[in-house]
Amino acid sequence: MAAFIIFILTLIISDIFYIDRKAVVAVITSRFIRHALWMSIWTSITCTFIALIFAVPTGYVLSRIRFPGHALADSIVDLPIVFPPLVAGLTLLVFFSQTALGRWIQEDLGLEFVFQPKGIVLCQFVTAASLAIRSAKTAFDDVDRRHENVALTLGCTQWGSFRRIALPLAANGIIAGGILTWARAFGLFGPLMIFVGSFRGRTEVLSTTIFLEQSVGNLEVALAIALLLVFVALIAITVLRLIGASAIEKL
Amino acid sequence: MIRTEQISFRIGAFALQGVSCQIPAGQYFVLLGPPGSGKTIFLECLCGLKKIDSGRIYIDGREVTALEPRARNIGYVPQDYALFPHLSVEQNVAFGLRVHGFAREDVVAAVTETAELLEIRHLLSRRIEGLSGGEKQRVALARALVLQPKVLLLDEPVCALDEASRQEVCAQLFRIQRKLRLTTIHVSHNLEEAFSVADRAAILHQGLLQQVGTLTELLRKPNSEFVARFMRCENIFCGQAVAQIAHSCDTQVKVGNIQLRLSGRYNGQVKFMIRPEDILVLPGPDDSSCVVRRASCENLNASRNTQYAIRNTVPARLQRWRDCGSYVRIELNPPFGGVNLVAHMTHAAFAELQAKLRPTPRLSGGNSCFRRNDVTPAKAGVAPAEAGVIVVLRPENIHVLPGF
Repeated sequence: MAAFIIFILTLIISDIFYIDRKAVVAVITSRFIRHALWMSIWTSITCTFIALIFAVPTGYVLSRIRFPGHALADSIVDLPIVFPPLVAGLTLLVFFSQTALGRWIQEDLGLEFVFQPKGIVLCQFVTAASLAIRSAKTAFDDVDRRHENVALTLGCTQWGSFRRIALPLAANGIIAGGILTWARAFGLFGPLMIFVGSFRGRTEVLSTTIFLEQSVGNLEVALAIALLLVFVALIAITVLRLIGASAIEKL
Repeated sequence: MIRTEQISFRIGAFALQGVSCQIPAGQYFVLLGPPGSGKTIFLECLCGLKKIDSGRIYIDGREVTALEPRARNIGYVPQDYALFPHLSVEQNVAFGLRVHGFAREDVVAAVTETAELLEIRHLLSRRIEGLSGGEKQRVALARALVLQPKVLLLDEPVCALDEASRQEVCAQLFRIQRKLRLTTIHVSHNLEEAFSVADRAAILHQGLLQQVGTLTELLRKPNSEFVARFMRCENIFCGQAVAQIAHSCDTQVKVGNIQLRLSGRYNGQVKFMIRPEDILVLPGPDDSSCVVRRASCENLNASRNTQYAIRNTVPARLQRWRDCGSYVRIELNPPFGGVNLVAHMTHAAFAELQAKLRPTPRLSGGNSCFRRNDVTPAKAGVAPAEAGVIVVLRPENIHVLPGF
């Protein structure tokens, strides 16, 4: 473990020594980078929140109820994890631009995703929600069903035993899933370039900014943004862990 | 009072098949059976955790078959206790009260009272993970009892404990059950456990209730070979009824080369059992007639019917013996067609038998346990062929297994 931590820190420190003061100032003062940072934060948090809302009941059902097609459903949940990221972006683009249902959602319902900020959240959700569901299912699998059974005999309803027993006992696994989901969403790049593009001040997020900066030769600025991304990620993961644990404890 | 009528429940290849029983109010009932016999499933059906396919369940005269677990007023302690690891001991005990929305002061009072009953007040502020097995068991019991249930269901409540703790916890369970006069079903596969607490017991096997009765009935009058073997009777023999004995209700049954007298009238093939502890082993066989007579006067003088008691005297060779702690298990080889007879003797009786057996050169040379002045206790031994004994099988101790 120590070797791994030292290796990661060495990589980050080498980046720190590579960048110069000018690049740092450019990152701090750039309005577009601040916007990209804000977009990265709110889209990834929204995505994580939505993913957890889906993941907890889905993981619980997959863990507790055996229904026809259970194995297939379990496998489908995992599919986005093994999708090449570009495929997810392409698939979304094809769905919303080439299928009747996709066009109906965009044009008739007015929910526009393609090249829109909302599309960032959708793209992140499609690629990252599986991690939350998988983690939630594993966490509920680890909760001994007898705990819930005892709660039922002590006066709980099914919902009560879920809320008071299963959810708190699965909390660590669910939080870990949330962190993985957020991390995947925060650093997502490939599908976003295809599905929402990288329009300055509109659909640009930190990962696409890094790509744009390094593609025009601003390697120091790109690395400075990468370090900003790492710093924000470190804070966010710690905060998510603490908030998640206390929120579930309060339930 | 608990009454079940023809409970059936199928899960995969296993099925509870028409289980009917009645447990009077305030009785401590032990449900025995080997692992996989359906004991836990039966309890879960009573709790309402498993919906039965057919049948009816009554608790205190009220049908609860269709009720949810929370509406049945049952205290349930599952195997390994299933304490909530994210809550403290106090929160575990108070869980049911809080779910039912009791006022804070009522919760505190009820938790304190129950904790005092189970002697766990000093544990209330502790986390679950640091508790010993016995402490966990008492916390789980307190959690179940705090709601004052009408019925207490205990699923292997002491199986996770060491031998010493088991006896202590069983004694405590029995004391609490008597104090609260709580109808209790205690699931176990352990006979010693059952003997320490049970008013009545039943044996379940492959989802079928085999026999219900007092432990003495299960022990002395099993209704099947399975029950007899489960109650640790190794002496089950088949014989052929050869004659009805005149002026009595007895039957002469031939087993191997020996004819035994059995109480009752039987025809054809007879399967019977003799409990190992009901077998009297006396020295022999050189002067067997006088030894038996003398021994019977010495050992059976408590019996009013000494002549009757020694009617079935069978010569046998003592083959091997083993010290089983509280008793000595000896294997005898009577002429029962090659089948061994197992007897249990107290250490004192076995020492007396050893002392009375005539030593032979081979005995003194080969096996220390049969030396007259042996002072070194051995744990087990193989007796030499010359160690002849007389086995006394009282007819009233021979139980014919029905339905054979």
